[in-house]
Amino acid sequence: MNLNIRYILAHGWFTGLAAIKSSYYYIIANLCLPLSLLFVVGVLSHGELLPYALAGGLVSMMVTNSIQSAGELTQFRLDDRHQDLIIATKTGPLDYMFGEMLGSFEWSIPSILLYLALDMSYHLLTPYNLVMTMAVCILVTVATLSLVFSILSFVKYTRKSWAISMMLSTLLTVIAPTFYPYTYIPKSVLFVLAILPSTPAAVLEQGLFGLEPMSWLMLVILLAETVVYLFIARYVARWREN
Amino acid sequence: MIEARAITKRYKDGTLALDGVNFTLNKKTTSIIGRNGAGKTTLLRILSTQLLPTSGTASINGLDVVKAAQDVRNIIVSIPQESKPINYLSPLDNVVLYLSARRMRMSEAKEAAEKAIKTVGLWKVREKISDELSGGMKRKIFVAMAIASKSDVVFLDEPTTGLDPLSRIEVWSAIKAIKGQVILTTHYMEEAQALSDDVLMMDKGKILSQGKVGDLLKPFKGKVRVESTKKKSHSYKVGNTYISYIGKNEAEASVMVGDIIKPITLDDLFIKRGVELEY
Ligand SMILES: Nc1ncnc2c1ncn2[C@@H]1O[C@H](COP(=O)(O)OP(=O)(O)OP(=O)(O)O)[C@@H](O)[C@H]1O
Ligand SMILES: [Mg+2]
Repeated sequence: MNLNIRYILAHGWFTGLAAIKSSYYYIIANLCLPLSLLFVVGVLSHGELLPYALAGGLVSMMVTNSIQSAGELTQFRLDDRHQDLIIATKTGPLDYMFGEMLGSFEWSIPSILLYLALDMSYHLLTPYNLVMTMAVCILVTVATLSLVFSILSFVKYTRKSWAISMMLSTLLTVIAPTFYPYTYIPKSVLFVLAILPSTPAAVLEQGLFGLEPMSWLMLVILLAETVVYLFIARYVARWREN
Repeated sequence: MIEARAITKRYKDGTLALDGVNFTLNKKTTSIIGRNGAGKTTLLRILSTQLLPTSGTASINGLDVVKAAQDVRNIIVSIPQESKPINYLSPLDNVVLYLSARRMRMSEAKEAAEKAIKTVGLWKVREKISDELSGGMKRKIFVAMAIASKSDVVFLDEPTTGLDPLSRIEVWSAIKAIKGQVILTTHYMEEAQALSDDVLMMDKGKILSQGKVGDLLKPFKGKVRVESTKKKSHSYKVGNTYISYIGKNEAEASVMVGDIIKPITLDDLFIKRGVELEY
């Protein structure tokens, strides 16, 4: 495998940090849901579950941004024909996806900083869980973007991809235990939900922040999903069609 | 040089888009013309390694488009039909991103992009986001990609569709600035005439004819096109108009009220062949 690092960096930069200026309103829009839920959860639990909504809100935000990036790749494939343009170069599907993942992560940086500041004000942050949280953010970005990219690769019209993205967004950010303690649901349900990368990510965050018991099994699951979903995405990428 | 031998393409849904296509392209610029659905895009996508043929072989400068796809990708640029620049990026950034896909160094890419943006006349808007550009300016971004790549072979699928006549002429001069061999598709016969002396005419997945514009128009020598609302002998019906090809003098002598006399262009080849095939 001969990755095109130059392209990955350029694609990441142009769809990431460089895009913040022109698309900052999306950053705010994507923060609306997790911050609203933070508010609602805080009110309903008289502040008790607020740290949960902080831990999960970060995951939720990363997931929303990743889904949006997968949607962008769909637009690149169907409307802009950018994917077709790139196929005829020596840049491969992995370069292309890694570029978008890097962009998605870069693009999330302002929101990450906001969450870290909130975490800090609630004394939830330590150097250890900061590092681990960043690792979780990276993994959940790769896993979610791959999963959603794979699903959207079967879509023939951008119109449809919006509906699917909206549905996946709710499933991944609200149903998964991002805004409630993962111990509230039966283990069996938790393991079903674990196919959504946001589930292991949120469980890990709750463990890291000392809110619930740490589950290293979830780290294994998140790592496995990252690899498996990336692998699937690589093969359904419609790179050179039949 | 591009060679295709018995290229056939059947899509998964059963559509036969290319039916045993053979040709050699070795002129500086070749235009591929043909009606909607003739198979032009399918052919270009196969030649530029985006789509696999069902059978047959094709090569670019001796490199097989299936077996040596990676090597082919080194020497080609392919601009898809209806491709749009990434709308929140400037023309310059769009070109730089494309060049990085071609594994060009960032500093080199910036320089090449700036030069090409100048060549196609986008210098003034180089920093604007593409959303704010006109349709012609957007198309020129892609021509700039082709110029900056300095590749051997460039495929342009309908580079001027939807542009106003002036923008079209501007894009033409940008296309003329491309150094390598150019293969383009078009629905504008004057474009094929202006840009290329080699024309490949396709219909229903087959090549109907290939040659210089002058050669292809030989059957019309000394004739003009007469468009009439009334049926005449040996006329082709296109919509509600009857088109006939007759000698210049004869046409002037027999012209009726409402008839329009026009000089012959590649359109006529198209009308003649297209209509023949239709009925
Ligand atoms: N992905 C696809 N799946 C199935 N059929 C397809 C696909 N793409 C094209 N076709 C069919 O193949 C035939 C050739 O299409 P193609 O796009 O190559 O034509 P074209 O000459 O480029 O037409 P146009 O001038 O409209 O761009 C058409 O009948 C079209 O419907
Ligand atoms: Mg076409």
